Amino acid sequence: MSKNTFSFTLSNDLSELDTLREKVEKFGTLFGIPDKTIFEINLIVDELFSNIVSCGFRDNGTHWININISRRDGAITIRVEDDGVPFNPKSSQKPDLECPMEERRIGGLGIHLVTELSDKISYYREGDKNILILEKNIPEDSTQLDT
Amino acid sequence: MEIQEKKLNGTSIIRVEGRLDSKTSPEFEDKISEIIENGTRNIILDFESLGYISSAGLRIILKTAKELKRMEGKLVLCELQDYVREVFEISGFDSFLPIVSTVDDAMEKL
Repeated sequence: MSKNTFSFTLSNDLSELDTLREKVEKFGTLFGIPDKTIFEINLIVDELFSNIVSCGFRDNGTHWININISRRDGAITIRVEDDGVPFNPKSSQKPDLECPMEERRIGGLGIHLVTELSDKISYYREGDKNILILEKNIPEDSTQLDT
Repeated sequence: MEIQEKKLNGTSIIRVEGRLDSKTSPEFEDKISEIIENGTRNIILDFESLGYISSAGLRIILKTAKELKRMEGKLVLCELQDYVREVFEISGFDSFLPIVSTVDDAMEKL
């Protein structure tokens, strides 16, 4: 495994969000990622993870969600793998952000945040698994030193 | 997450400390429901110590804003940290929610 790669596995339980945050922050420290980018990566992975936990499984059993974050040059790649029901975030309907408050719906907002905060998203199904790969550019004006 | 409430001239000022995500949001939702059930119609959310929010937190805020409006009350947000504010902007929530700098500014919006 490349030294620029960081992997962890979470069970399908929302209490794992604390572990998720710790892991993402550790990744940020190890690879000198700006705080703002770390906040956004945390949000991206949180939304995907929470979505999988809440909507991905038809049974009450334990499932594992594998997350890999890697840094190369000016970009970060996030890979999320789960064995839940097929779900392609790219086909998720964009929420209407212009309508009056009374008509605003919360559905799709999490995936909207993921889409807006990512620079590239690809999805495919491999056997019984969802594989989602996101890329996020690190801002060039970042003042943090590379490791 | 820590929630503190204080009352000022019938307005509830709620300070939320920590993170609003899908794990902590149910507690936040319960607290807000309790405050509205007790008759409060104007709520200020002081997010000075809120370091993180996800769509789960936004869901409660949207629900609260709608509910208070139906009751002719109001929800105002203040003291948002930059990264948290960005989440509100990307979600388009800043188009219908008053977001101001300080608690004093929020009081004036009511």
